[in-house]
Amino acid sequence: MKKTTVRIVFGLLAATYVLTHFLGHAHAQSSLGIGANEAVLPSTGMFAGLLNWINVHQQQFYRALTGSLKSMRDGGGGQWLLVALSFAYGVFHAAGPGHGKAVISSYMLANEVALRRGVLLSFISALLQAVTAILVMTLVYFVLRGTAISMTDATRFLEIASYAMVTAFGLWLLWQKAVPRLAGAFGMGRAHSLSAAAAHAHHHDHAEHHHHHAHGPSEVCSSCGHSHAPDPALLSTPAFNWRSAWAAVTAVGLRPCTGALIVLSFAFLNGLWVAGVVSVLAMAVGTALTVSLLAVLAVSAKNVAVRFAGDGRMGNRIHAAIEIGGAALVFLLGVTLLAATI
Amino acid sequence: MQTLPALLAAGFLCAAPLSAYGHPHVFAEASLEVVVGAGGKVDSLGHVWRFDDLFSSTVLFEFDKNKDLKLDEDELRSVAETVHGSLAEFDYFQFVTHDGKEVKMRAPVHLVATFDDNMLTIMFESQPEQELKLDGKVDFGVYDPTFYTAIDFTEDELMMVQGLPAACTRAVIRPDPDEAIAQNQQTLTEAFFNDPMGTDMSKIFATRLEISCGGQG
Repeated sequence: MKKTTVRIVFGLLAATYVLTHFLGHAHAQSSLGIGANEAVLPSTGMFAGLLNWINVHQQQFYRALTGSLKSMRDGGGGQWLLVALSFAYGVFHAAGPGHGKAVISSYMLANEVALRRGVLLSFISALLQAVTAILVMTLVYFVLRGTAISMTDATRFLEIASYAMVTAFGLWLLWQKAVPRLAGAFGMGRAHSLSAAAAHAHHHDHAEHHHHHAHGPSEVCSSCGHSHAPDPALLSTPAFNWRSAWAAVTAVGLRPCTGALIVLSFAFLNGLWVAGVVSVLAMAVGTALTVSLLAVLAVSAKNVAVRFAGDGRMGNRIHAAIEIGGAALVFLLGVTLLAATI
Repeated sequence: MQTLPALLAAGFLCAAPLSAYGHPHVFAEASLEVVVGAGGKVDSLGHVWRFDDLFSSTVLFEFDKNKDLKLDEDELRSVAETVHGSLAEFDYFQFVTHDGKEVKMRAPVHLVATFDDNMLTIMFESQPEQELKLDGKVDFGVYDPTFYTAIDFTEDELMMVQGLPAACTRAVIRPDPDEAIAQNQQTLTEAFFNDPMGTDMSKIFATRLEISCGGQG
């Protein structure tokens, strides 16, 4: 009976995820043909009220942000207001479109990434995105302006590169996660990577301690009262793999965000160099906060689900399914975005 | 028992990107003029969109080929052509209905772009494809279905009708988003399950001009 419940719950979750993430990435190109729009996802559904609330705030912050830039151009002060508004805009914006959140969360589902590292990844990818935007605009302003290469072209190039990387990364993850298991199923090779949550799903509240206190790979967890097996990071695919983490981060960070580009073009044209850069960095910090929160939610939900299923075969199977599913989602996301863009 | 909240959270997380009915990155202050000719027939719709400073900077960045930080005639022409080409796919942001039925509009021959006070303005005119006589209810909406551009009519007077027949009244309708969602919740949810990518929220939110004509028109 418990099994059935678990299956139904996961079926529903997967269906929601696919419905909301992968259908209707219709308009990656902007409707005006100038500037790049962010991929638009379907716009209706059960959360319409809440999402409208997010959207309204996002818009208000964006407008206030542009307003404060304009007042700075006209000689008014307001640096700190600009920073605060950019930050708030980043927080709300990340709850909206954008593949960053989806890629990072899925990557964390597919891998046993300690929550703290997941948060770090979110921050690095958001900052990288800001740096890309700043580099692109600097390049456009000083080098490309007046040439045949426009900002829209440059952004489009990065966008395609980013989506292609997401696709390739997803494929690689899928290979890593699915092949050993399939091989194991046919009696070849060993089934590895039954990491953290499954490997020690004891009956104490385990998922929690990852964020409450940190401890080294094989250290004793003092609050648990007993030493437990190596840290998740050591058990999963070889260890925490910085190379794969960098791939995820770069894939996400390559695509600069539209709002940042527009803000920078205005700031640069009006000589507000510092203000523009600071504003974009503040946006990145806000974005990273939201992405971290969502990623942490995803991983906690996974841990709860695995614990709920117990540590028998069912737990292991669920664990495997989530990991392979996460990898598949990264791949699917990449393909969908790529298809919408090219 | 923490399972339920966690699962709810997971459910929310899975659905979160729904919020991606995007948000505008471009703002335009718009005016619309509906010209009604002899016999109460709609002659044309005239549009003027003045874009915000930030997007205008982006346009300047993109199209200032000779780097003089101005957009001269040639450069403006290529702005107009780019926008003209892109808008075709989105019906030039014009959405006209007659008693709820869609009215096709002809594509404008060309757009005019100007750049004054560091702000880009786009103007164009479009005619109905077939004769559109004012009777019953005719609605004119101007919006970007992709949510990239926010087309704002800051005052009701900016949706004008020239030559409004005596039997008709003009009203500007600004739906309240929360109410609009509440009213449309049922349809929205159904529409979502029938066709997750088909419905667009912008239609429900957009400001529109409604001309209602009594009985005989």
